[in-house]
Amino acid sequence: MIVCIAVVGHQNNPLYLQSFTEADDALKLHHIVHCSLDVIDERVNNPKKTGSTLNETYLGLLYPTENYKVYGYLTNTKVKFILVTTHLDVRDADVRNFFRRFHSAYVDAVSNPFHVPGKKITSQTFAERVSTIVKSFGLSSAV
Amino acid sequence: MGREVSESCVDNLMIEMVSAYCNRFYSTKPELAARRIEAIGYQVGHQLSERYTMERPRFSDHLEAIKFICKDFWAELFKKQIDNLKTNHRGTFVLQDNRFQWLTRMSIDPSPANADLSQDSSGETAENRAVQITSMHLYFPCGIIRGALSNLGIPCAVSVDTSNLPASGSFVVRIKA
Repeated sequence: MIVCIAVVGHQNNPLYLQSFTEADDALKLHHIVHCSLDVIDERVNNPKKTGSTLNETYLGLLYPTENYKVYGYLTNTKVKFILVTTHLDVRDADVRNFFRRFHSAYVDAVSNPFHVPGKKITSQTFAERVSTIVKSFGLSSAV
Repeated sequence: MGREVSESCVDNLMIEMVSAYCNRFYSTKPELAARRIEAIGYQVGHQLSERYTMERPRFSDHLEAIKFICKDFWAELFKKQIDNLKTNHRGTFVLQDNRFQWLTRMSIDPSPANADLSQDSSGETAENRAVQITSMHLYFPCGIIRGALSNLGIPCAVSVDTSNLPASGSFVVRIKA
């Protein structure tokens, strides 16, 4: 199941950080998200010339820790989405689908004229949409 | 899920915005009005570029981002692409639109308030005023372009080339290296 998702701006400033476990290790999750930013920078600055992944938005599995897997996604506007999950057999297609819907929710939240770019996203609608997407992620990969 | 607005509403909104800022809010300081309009355009461009780059792979260099602005972005906004793109390969681009949508309804009538001026100077001031008025309407799209490019990671300055108004609008983009 998804443990945590984060949106990080282009200056590595956090825009949205939400964890979905009742456990008390929110700090550890924030730390994991922070470390994954380094991995993203590394991937972007030293692209693997062999693959066709030079300019794709979806970055794939960033790095596995002992219980978690961390996936990354980089938009054209240098905004990074980070997904931390404890699923053992999560499929690539599911994660891509998740990021696509999440990106769409993010774009709608940012198009709010009262949202200040660079500040945290405080929209209630965005939080609700995100929790819907997270719930349906768990269901679809259980099928 | 998208809702639609008629184009004439948007055109009227633009005209009214320029008129409100120039004649009511900052009537004595046209430079401030221009800066405010451009700032509004900046925020709109910023948000629109988020939306229109959603499904696309990332751009590898500045030229690709400018081409995106000329083709897809402009097509989403005005249903046509930029007609002409010129560059000096050193960070300056000129985007030329031969029928810029928000200027197509613009007509400049010589105002009768100039009756007390002499004949020769009223000719050139009428033309200057025409250029001034139309360039006021171009600050908003300049802001849109600047906002979109800044969101793509390219800081730049956008200005208007007023040599051919109102037939065609040219936007000069200078990338700050």
